[in-house]
Amino acid sequence: MRLLSDIGQFLLMLKGMFKRPEKASMYWKELMHQCVEIGIGSLGIVAIISVFIGAVSTIQTAYQLVSPLIPLTTIAQIVRDTVILEFAPTLVCIVLAGVAGSRIASELGNMRVSEQIDALEIMGINTKTYLILPKIAAAMLMIPLLVIIAMALGIWGGRLAGTAAGIISPNIFDKGLAADFLPYNVFFALVKGYVFSFIISSVPAYYGYYVRGGALEIGRASTKAVVVSCVLILFADYILSALLL
Amino acid sequence: MIEVKNIQKKFGDKVVIENVSAEMKPGQCNLIIGASGSGKTVLMKCMVGLLTPDQGEICYHGDNFFSMNQEQRTNIRKEIGMLFQGSALFDSLTVEQNIMFPLDMFTTDSAPQKLKRVNEVLERVNLKDVNRKFPAELSGGMKKRVALARAVVLNPKYLFCDEPNSGLDPQTSLVIDKLIQELTVEFNITTVVNTHDMNSVMETGDYILYMYQGKKEWEGTRKDIIFSKNQLLNDFIFASEFLKDAKDMRMLEETGKMPNVRNMDDMTRS
Repeated sequence: MRLLSDIGQFLLMLKGMFKRPEKASMYWKELMHQCVEIGIGSLGIVAIISVFIGAVSTIQTAYQLVSPLIPLTTIAQIVRDTVILEFAPTLVCIVLAGVAGSRIASELGNMRVSEQIDALEIMGINTKTYLILPKIAAAMLMIPLLVIIAMALGIWGGRLAGTAAGIISPNIFDKGLAADFLPYNVFFALVKGYVFSFIISSVPAYYGYYVRGGALEIGRASTKAVVVSCVLILFADYILSALLL
Repeated sequence: MIEVKNIQKKFGDKVVIENVSAEMKPGQCNLIIGASGSGKTVLMKCMVGLLTPDQGEICYHGDNFFSMNQEQRTNIRKEIGMLFQGSALFDSLTVEQNIMFPLDMFTTDSAPQKLKRVNEVLERVNLKDVNRKFPAELSGGMKKRVALARAVVLNPKYLFCDEPNSGLDPQTSLVIDKLIQELTVEFNITTVVNTHDMNSVMETGDYILYMYQGKKEWEGTRKDIIFSKNQLLNDFIFASEFLKDAKDMRMLEETGKMPNVRNMDDMTRS
């Protein structure tokens, strides 16, 4: 019953976002602000995770491929496909659910508890449109870009680790990267990026916007937002893989 | 003018406001007083449309707010300024940006015009050199004054203040009360103040609505309070011996008679 009520309220929140903005320039400013917060603000952690995930996957793949019959280029192919298909979109988005999602939930929760949302409502501003829509739009603009950056950095990290550990030379790695490359995989990763970015922004926005109580409830809402977002990302990952691959 | 007509509000089975009616006129401070939990904040939230009453009407210039469409409601809200109990300043914005926010959102003024208006209202609330400060860097009284400046920056017709003195020392409370009173008269604003600060009641209450357990128990002016025989009101307003004495003294000034023996004895002793 509680789940149905949450889904209903979530859908009403999404519906309530689509109202005519009071002043387009203010919404544009807020959208740009959110792009910086979500995109640039998460760039550092995305870069670090991507490089190390790529590096680790190269070393572990090489560790498992012990047969002399398997060419070394296969390592690069496996690293490329796992990074593009899974690590860059899914792992990065799970991390972003923690970074950006908790920030969205706690920001909105704090605004709710300290009556800042009420103050905006009293001014005649549609708070769902002004506060939630730019966050979702910014996430859907920036997170797919972060996924692309994560793909590039992940593969680069794998190449770097392979070379540094003496597992595979850069030339062979590059040759493996180009072999049997399917552009559809990138398309699939971007589809996942868009779906996950919607989850990462809308779910925490819902928990933050409707928080009741004080500081403790903001913390709880933030944690719940991250947990639910992660579960939904994994569920969506399975559904998309089953449908599109 | 704001007319409150037979407002009723329930949360679940609990009736929080029961058939409250009142008329709040422009150019005067209309106070809603009552103990904690008496329903005054809920009534104010109904008045500004943050809560929808189960029954009754809130009329702005004769038009029921809850019968209006979204656009009409938005237009009324543009005429409302509100000072919240916790100030509700936007944490991420400076004082200047906070006050400029309604101007940015609802006017087409140029940047210098907006800045001029911000400085005007800041000066009006006696604040200087705080433009670049963030709310976290301000004292409680300064936050209230910034919030008041933001509430009046668009020259509202209606000003709502939810416990403007909560958490402030008596001297700062007086400054805030005086500011609210001056702005009300100066711009002929219909001001509605939720308070349980007795200084505010006696200093600024042009019209006072006393609520008790969700019902309107008494209404009148601050002068009427002195002569009121309503026991619940007297117990609430003049709760301490000191305030009871103050009431007796005021009554003596007004009528030349002492109201009861208790005070005569006290005064004789002193």
